[in-house]
Amino acid sequence: MDDLEKLNELTEGRPELARLVQESLEEIGACRDGEDLEHARIRLLGKKGTVTGLFKGLAGLTTGDKKVLGQTGNLLRKLIEERLDEKGRELAGAARSQAGRALDVTLPGRRPRIGHKHLLTQVTEEITSIFVSLGYQVVVGPEVELDYYNFEALNQPPYHPARSLHDTLYVSRKDPHRESPDDVLLRTHTSPVQVRVMESRRPPLYVISPGKAYRKDEIDATHSAMFHQVEGFAVGTDITMGHLKGTLEVFARKLFGEERDVRFRPHFFPFTEPSAEVDVSCHGCGGSGCAICKRSGWLEILGSGMIDPRVFEYVGYDPEEYTGFAFGVGVERVAMLKYAIDDMRVFFENDARFLRQY
Amino acid sequence: MKVSLEWLSEYVDLVLSPERLADVLSMAGTEVERIHTLGARVSGVVVARVVKVKEHPNADRLRIAVVDDGAAEREVVCGAPNLKAGMVSALALPGALLPASPDTGLSESVIRGVMSHGMLLSEDELGLSDDRGGIIELEAGAVVGSDIHEVLPLEDMVLELEITPNRPDCMSVVGIAREVAALTGGEFRWPYREPVEDGGPAGDLLKVRLVDRIGCPRYSARVVTGVEIRPSPAWMQRRLVASGMRPISNVVDITNYVLLEMGQPLHAFDMDLLTDTTIVVRKAEPGERMTTLDGVERALDEDCLMIADAARAVAIAGIMGGEDSEVTDATRNVVIESAYFDPTAVMLTSRRLALRTEASSRFERGTDPGGTARAADRAAELMRELAGGTVAVGVIDEYPEPIVPVAIELRPDRVNRVLGTDIEASEMAGILGRLEAEVEGKDALRVTAPTFRPDLEREIDLIEEIARVHGYDRIPSLLPAGGGLVAGLTREQVRQAKLVDGLVSLGLSEAITYSFMRPGDLELMRLSAEDPLRGAVTLINPVAETGEAMRTTLLPGLLRLASSNLNKGNRDLAVFECGRVFMAGAEGGLPEEVERVGILICGRVSDAGWPTEDRAADFFDLKGLVEDALSICGTAVKAVFSPAEAVFLLRGRAAELLLDSELAGLLGQLDPAVAVAFDIDCEVYVAEMSRDLLTGAADVPRPYVPVGRFPNVKVDIAVVVDSSVEARQIEEEIHVRGGELLRAARLFDVYEGPQIPEGRKSLAYALEFGSAEGTLTDTEAHERMDGIIEGLRERFGASIRGRDSIQEDS
Ligand SMILES: [Zn+2]
Repeated sequence: MDDLEKLNELTEGRPELARLVQESLEEIGACRDGEDLEHARIRLLGKKGTVTGLFKGLAGLTTGDKKVLGQTGNLLRKLIEERLDEKGRELAGAARSQAGRALDVTLPGRRPRIGHKHLLTQVTEEITSIFVSLGYQVVVGPEVELDYYNFEALNQPPYHPARSLHDTLYVSRKDPHRESPDDVLLRTHTSPVQVRVMESRRPPLYVISPGKAYRKDEIDATHSAMFHQVEGFAVGTDITMGHLKGTLEVFARKLFGEERDVRFRPHFFPFTEPSAEVDVSCHGCGGSGCAICKRSGWLEILGSGMIDPRVFEYVGYDPEEYTGFAFGVGVERVAMLKYAIDDMRVFFENDARFLRQY
Repeated sequence: MKVSLEWLSEYVDLVLSPERLADVLSMAGTEVERIHTLGARVSGVVVARVVKVKEHPNADRLRIAVVDDGAAEREVVCGAPNLKAGMVSALALPGALLPASPDTGLSESVIRGVMSHGMLLSEDELGLSDDRGGIIELEAGAVVGSDIHEVLPLEDMVLELEITPNRPDCMSVVGIAREVAALTGGEFRWPYREPVEDGGPAGDLLKVRLVDRIGCPRYSARVVTGVEIRPSPAWMQRRLVASGMRPISNVVDITNYVLLEMGQPLHAFDMDLLTDTTIVVRKAEPGERMTTLDGVERALDEDCLMIADAARAVAIAGIMGGEDSEVTDATRNVVIESAYFDPTAVMLTSRRLALRTEASSRFERGTDPGGTARAADRAAELMRELAGGTVAVGVIDEYPEPIVPVAIELRPDRVNRVLGTDIEASEMAGILGRLEAEVEGKDALRVTAPTFRPDLEREIDLIEEIARVHGYDRIPSLLPAGGGLVAGLTREQVRQAKLVDGLVSLGLSEAITYSFMRPGDLELMRLSAEDPLRGAVTLINPVAETGEAMRTTLLPGLLRLASSNLNKGNRDLAVFECGRVFMAGAEGGLPEEVERVGILICGRVSDAGWPTEDRAADFFDLKGLVEDALSICGTAVKAVFSPAEAVFLLRGRAAELLLDSELAGLLGQLDPAVAVAFDIDCEVYVAEMSRDLLTGAADVPRPYVPVGRFPNVKVDIAVVVDSSVEARQIEEEIHVRGGELLRAARLFDVYEGPQIPEGRKSLAYALEFGSAEGTLTDTEAHERMDGIIEGLRERFGASIRGRDSIQEDS
């Protein structure tokens, strides 16, 4: 039972007392500022105030009445003090609400410096996470590689132009005129990770491998001596080209949009057979042709294929027992297509204004 | 490769529109990169014969041709040097529409005082080629007065194709025609005709000796005598031009024509310029030299396969002929060489000489060893028809060990197992048959590929053919069952990702710089020759622009980044890079690749905004970033920053980061002299750390420290000590003396100045005391404070300036 309820009980049958309580509380409630409140305090609790008056009236009353009146006075004083404090806080808050100077809310907000992940990292993570969600593991490999892993064991024929000093950056060559598996080079793709993983593990394998790769290219809008790829492969006893298609369709649609069409075109890579290039219908025009897709309606996004039996032979797998598929996605290419970037150099110039854009 | 549809339609019926055909070819592996339209609209042009040529009265270079346009004779002014009476050419009548002015008809006009009633046209003016050296010369048999379209197919579509390296057979019109026939079900027609041989026996005129039978397994040749060198007919020129080749003369054009048509490179020698009648195929002799058709004298060696006569080399086999046996206007008798050279032999020669030609690019990929004689026949017959030659009887054909394709075993169930399909064996056999393979058997198939398909050697090669012709789009898509796999990121990979996210959350933007550096970069950083960072892996064939060594530190890349940004007016930088550096390993072995994290800051600490704290970043901003990075990683081991020295960092403003006593990184202000060397004109702060030490140190989860349910007592003190005393030492003492009741000690001011004695400094700390058991009394807190003060006095001779206490909620 709170104080007000007690008071109501005490003053029951004594309408003049009940009215006194009622009027006191109403007076506090009606205060509009600190001055009103101070006047109310004096009138209610001051030497000539209501409560004092109540106590003064005690003389000449019966003991029973004295007791009731005394209790009422004490309770009323407590209640009035509480209500005055409460009203005081309320008025103070209201006063502060009105004191604030008007701001020009159209001024720009004060923004803390935020960092940005490089666009290529964002795209790499996007690609990687799609495959992680499909049950792939992430494995990385060396960027400075042996010819064996980069070419030889990937069934790249000897004397192929890709293996020449003209196309590939070399650290050392056994014989200056001819390539050998012991030559040290900068990997030209992330595919050597395939060979390294297969050499050291047994199927089933579902692996994704992001990383840098290098080529002896002078730098211009569409070429770079360094670029990024995401390699992926799956090996098992029952992996088919249908699985390659199913997996890469899921990937392409997650990356470019669920409504995209995906098509597989026969192609040639030394380390896969059959091989396929994968196109996705252009997000710029929906397939009717625009500048992004060079009017073709299709965007080529990756190369893929069934792992060539010769690659399995190199790593000591029985090609009769195992089949698998592999694919490689160019990160710069995907970023350029997705964000309509027409010059590869922006990725490595690291202009602060570019870095802040994404 | 470019293929004219007009030409292609001679060998296969084109039932599809060019666009649809392009799609079908692309979806079967021969990507159509572009479709060109040749020959703009031409009208009002007729075949005309030049009746008579008269001098122009007012101009030396111009003449007046009287031409028969089939209806009447008319005079036209003409400046072409090849104008002569009797020739048949193309005449634009008044009102004619030509590619150069497709909307305005040709008008009669007065040229240097003589009225010209039309215009004789060059190939260029007809939109056929860019040849403007003279007017077009049509075959003498062309019907005068007929529309030019009846004589010259002016309008044509050309498919530009990307031929994959495994399909040399598709580098020809015939090859594409075969492919189109197989894919569209059309019928393939051979362009072959038996040549009419009315000369003497070829064997009497020429002999061939194969010394290098590995380099040249087959050499076929034809001899054609009595040719007359003149321009080839317009239809041939047009096809050559449409295919991207320049017409030269009938004999040379015929060899190129057959090359494009059949994919068999031919070479024509002037037989009278050969030293005797024997052609020898051999390796070059040491020191041998010869001048090729392009006028370049080339030094040869034993890797080069040569065609020679008794005295000298006359051609580099499969690549280019020699200048001194070249077909010229004076040539009368021709040897047509049609050989099969070993792909590797041609590739090696081509590489050694850095010389690639239409011929070499075909031989390198593998031509058809079975097709050499047929191509020689084709060229000989064309020379008889178009150059008036007499074909000697017989093909000279040296083919000591014929190349026979092996039969390949094809298991239909294996095909379906690899593809995930349900294709019937009969369909497989049908597809391979359409590709001109011989197929035997019903269940297990024995397949013999045609000689023009050197790429079909194994079962998997045939599986690809079946998949491609059946259609990749008809293979059902499916996700692998997987199952029971442990996938996802490793704990270490999760922490690595967290580090990058953490750095980004600290306001740093990620940069990616090249993995290369220039060795000069390390000199600019003043690193001595003995410095371990100088042990860089270098490239033997670097890209000049990016540098010849693999980086051993991220700093040069970051400093160049800073320099280029500063030059572009981006003055406030806060960037990081996560990437590998490469430390040279054993000779001939692989280097050690180490993941590093670099940070660079300069300029103001905040990114603009108007009422901003306009303060330049300093050492402690950098250190704070490193400390926060450690905190975000969740590093559980003790991190210690100690004064350090590094030649590229400003003395007294460099620190090393030790994690569990192991050196994990270096941070500090870049020495201004180094900054200048990198073209940086402001204060720059850099850090470089080992990523794996940062993330590896976080492998052990930090145990939870109860945050305390009771309010802490906060006390501020200012400790005055000698300037040489390190803050770290003071903090250590505060923690030792404060014991476990000391919950935190936070530095909030460092002061040196008037109120402090010379050589002393004041460090102000906000200390917080608290207990998990209950609210501390002031007395308990002050006891600890007294202990701390006593310790600082004893150890450092510290004096204490202030001591305030307030109680707050924790
Ligand atoms: Zn588009």
